[in-house]
Amino acid sequence: MSWLIAGLFCMVAALIAGMVLMYILPLDFSERSPVQPLIFSHKLHAGANGIPCLYCHHHADKSPVAGIPALADCRACHLYISPEAPEIKKLMGYWDRQEPIAWARVNNLPDHAYFPHMMHIRAKIDCSICHGQVAAMERISRTASLKMGWCLDCHRQHKASIDCWTCHI
Amino acid sequence: MKRRTFLQLSGMTAAGALLAGCQSGNEKLIPYLVPPDEGVTPGRATYYASSCGSCPAGCGILVRVSEGRAKKIEGNPDHPVNRGRLCARGQAILQELYHPDRVQQPLKRSGPRRSGEFQKITWAEGLSLLTAKLKELQQGQASDGLALLTPQLSGSLAGLASGFMRSFDSPHLISHEFLAPDLLRQAERQSFGQPGLPFYDLAETRYLLSFGADFVESHHSPVQYGNAFGRMRQGRDTVRGHFTYVGGRMSLTAASADRWMPARPGSEGALALGMARLILAETLYDKGALAANGLRPEELLVRLKPYDLPQVAVLTGLPQESIAEVAREFANTRPSLAMAGGSVAYQTNGLESVRAVHLLNTLSGNLNRPGGVYPAASANGPENSFTELRALVNSMGAGRIKLALIKGDPVHSVPPASGFQQALDKVPFIVSFSQLIDDTALQADLILPDHAVLESWGDVLPQAGSRQAVYGLMQPVVTPLHDTRQFGDVLLAAASQMGGAMAAALPWKSCLELVKGTASQLGHKKEEDFEALWVELLRQGGLFETKTVQGKGYRWSSVAALPDPARPKFAGDRKQFPLHLQVYSSTAFSDGRGAPLPWLQQLPDPMSTVVWDSWIEINPKTAADLGISHGDLVEVTSPQGALRLAAVVYPGIRPDLVAIPLGQGHKGGGRYARERGVNPLTLLALVEGDEQQPAWNATMVRVTRVSQKGNLVTAEHPQGSYRSDLVGI
Repeated sequence: MSWLIAGLFCMVAALIAGMVLMYILPLDFSERSPVQPLIFSHKLHAGANGIPCLYCHHHADKSPVAGIPALADCRACHLYISPEAPEIKKLMGYWDRQEPIAWARVNNLPDHAYFPHMMHIRAKIDCSICHGQVAAMERISRTASLKMGWCLDCHRQHKASIDCWTCHI
Repeated sequence: MKRRTFLQLSGMTAAGALLAGCQSGNEKLIPYLVPPDEGVTPGRATYYASSCGSCPAGCGILVRVSEGRAKKIEGNPDHPVNRGRLCARGQAILQELYHPDRVQQPLKRSGPRRSGEFQKITWAEGLSLLTAKLKELQQGQASDGLALLTPQLSGSLAGLASGFMRSFDSPHLISHEFLAPDLLRQAERQSFGQPGLPFYDLAETRYLLSFGADFVESHHSPVQYGNAFGRMRQGRDTVRGHFTYVGGRMSLTAASADRWMPARPGSEGALALGMARLILAETLYDKGALAANGLRPEELLVRLKPYDLPQVAVLTGLPQESIAEVAREFANTRPSLAMAGGSVAYQTNGLESVRAVHLLNTLSGNLNRPGGVYPAASANGPENSFTELRALVNSMGAGRIKLALIKGDPVHSVPPASGFQQALDKVPFIVSFSQLIDDTALQADLILPDHAVLESWGDVLPQAGSRQAVYGLMQPVVTPLHDTRQFGDVLLAAASQMGGAMAAALPWKSCLELVKGTASQLGHKKEEDFEALWVELLRQGGLFETKTVQGKGYRWSSVAALPDPARPKFAGDRKQFPLHLQVYSSTAFSDGRGAPLPWLQQLPDPMSTVVWDSWIEINPKTAADLGISHGDLVEVTSPQGALRLAAVVYPGIRPDLVAIPLGQGHKGGGRYARERGVNPLTLLALVEGDEQQPAWNATMVRVTRVSQKGNLVTAEHPQGSYRSDLVGI
């Protein structure tokens, strides 16, 4: 009987451990690092090739949203750069079908919080402070909690306004 | 089932559920395929100043546009009419742009009329169909077989419509709206010898007396007067203006008053004259003003003898003391102001009743004075478009009209008692310019869909909202969503295809060119200035600081007879039809043009809190006599027809009066308006009043209970919120 109880206990413990692991690890099915429709490597683009963030996300310094490059922008380079790679062929397939790529959103804030990218860029906040070491990521994963406390910590640290109306407008 | 299989199965189900739960719930980010050429920055809004087109008030609007899509509309703070405010109808014109049932390209009828079967055609086909019909008329020397029906247009478009009809040589241009203030314009002319509408300086007055003018929700310029009313009450440190409302139904305006005088329908003019007589008898009048207007008090007093207090109290059903009290307050407070509006005008004695209110203003010296009444700028318009409509109905009925071009939805918004709908059936070819397949478009042979307001070029001369002439510009804020064309552009294209005199009379290529032409006459100095002026107009949404005020103030016309309202006449035998029917402009839909928009459908009526449907307001005493309780289904019968709708037991209405809001009961008009509620216009009998003006509030009805299933949807129970000693008669 005692081995049965011990076995049950072990099983529950393993289950809990598994769930904790699932939550922490950037696994496929986690909302922290979802599978994207295309295997796009930031490590290759931003890391190895050293393309600056604003080259592709070029609205970040003038708009509340950073923007994702249009399919035409991807295609413009990849007509010439490794056009034979399987993922690039997939990309061109989207273009042939005239279908935009539906990327899974990783960093998201609730609607009642107003986050303008341009103000943070203007304040010389490095992208990596919120987005992590994107240049080292094969697949994008969320590194910050994006909770209000986390926002406030940084605002306090940089002596930015912590008035409610700063973000909740 | 074996135990083992059961465990296997349940294990698999659990695993499946776990896996499903782990699927990413992330939002999708969908970038452009090709980035837009012009500087569209995602997430950054552009604001365009334009004008609202949902009613003749012509308020200025600011539209927020991001990613090339119009997102939100607010009032333009620089616009002198609405000063940054905007009503619900103005906010909702966004939904006109995005309406899922918009006509997306020209349509030709393919089934029988009213079947709603249409065939898609191109603009080239549509235009050639139209011009072929026009040419047919011209060659047959029957150019008066063409009719053009529009709402009351203003600015360049009005000029374009009349130029089109003049150059085609057809007299049948009719600008008719059910709620248009035609009668008020005629009354102005008769009393003061000048056309137009008055501008009431509400904000500066100290005593306001409104005879059925529901200026908060409808009347001439609801945003302007709603705002001015706020300033009259709270805008001054020492004075809070007093407000008395005269009218049988407690509207939102009446509910804002200090005193409500529910006079018997049709007796408002007698009440005004009774007050005038009392003011004269007690010498409370403004002596200087009377002399300046060429009126002699002794003579007036003799003429107003029939309106002594006891007589007026009998006519109006109001206590003598309160009539005398209000008359004395009105005369003793300066500046004071009397207004007259729709529910008074739509009686058989409407014209004289409105003029009685003019006399009251003249006696108290309220003309051309701060806090009084001035002639408004740009308020010209037809003075009896209904007689023109009836003449057209006769022509249509006799088969003389071969081609009818219709902008707007007269099939829904003209009372059937006029015979319009029947006569329209006899017109062999009907062209509609509606954006939705509304009641008129259902009957049309060809639909040439108009742009939404937010896609159009135009100019707006706000109706009676200011003393200064205001020029409002309407500009497209988005590229057109569908293959539609502006009404004006279609007229211009047809004219140019017709060639000859028409093309010469209408030389413009597009509405943009036409509007630019009008704008170029707005008092700039040199030709090279115009580009700068135009950019400024686009930036500001119009020209507001014109400083041009109607030079001639009001003066009682020397040829004007004293107002003498006759006893009101009503359609329907008193025994058979014991109740007066009042139809009134709905806060959300106006005359029905707002009904296709879901935001307006879900806007609760401010007084009864009813959503989505039609209802009839009945006094609790009357309701008890008839055995009707709140929410019952009742049948309303008039000499003209019968309708079934839900009853709202409403203490704010006279026991001998029932009221139904306008705007519902469409047969078409898209998924949100279709088959919803009833159209009270079908109940109205055609009664002619003074000068052949239609008296739409002179119909008597009978109300009977049908069942308890009225299916009334209300945001709250009116019996709860009105349980008060303050309201109720």
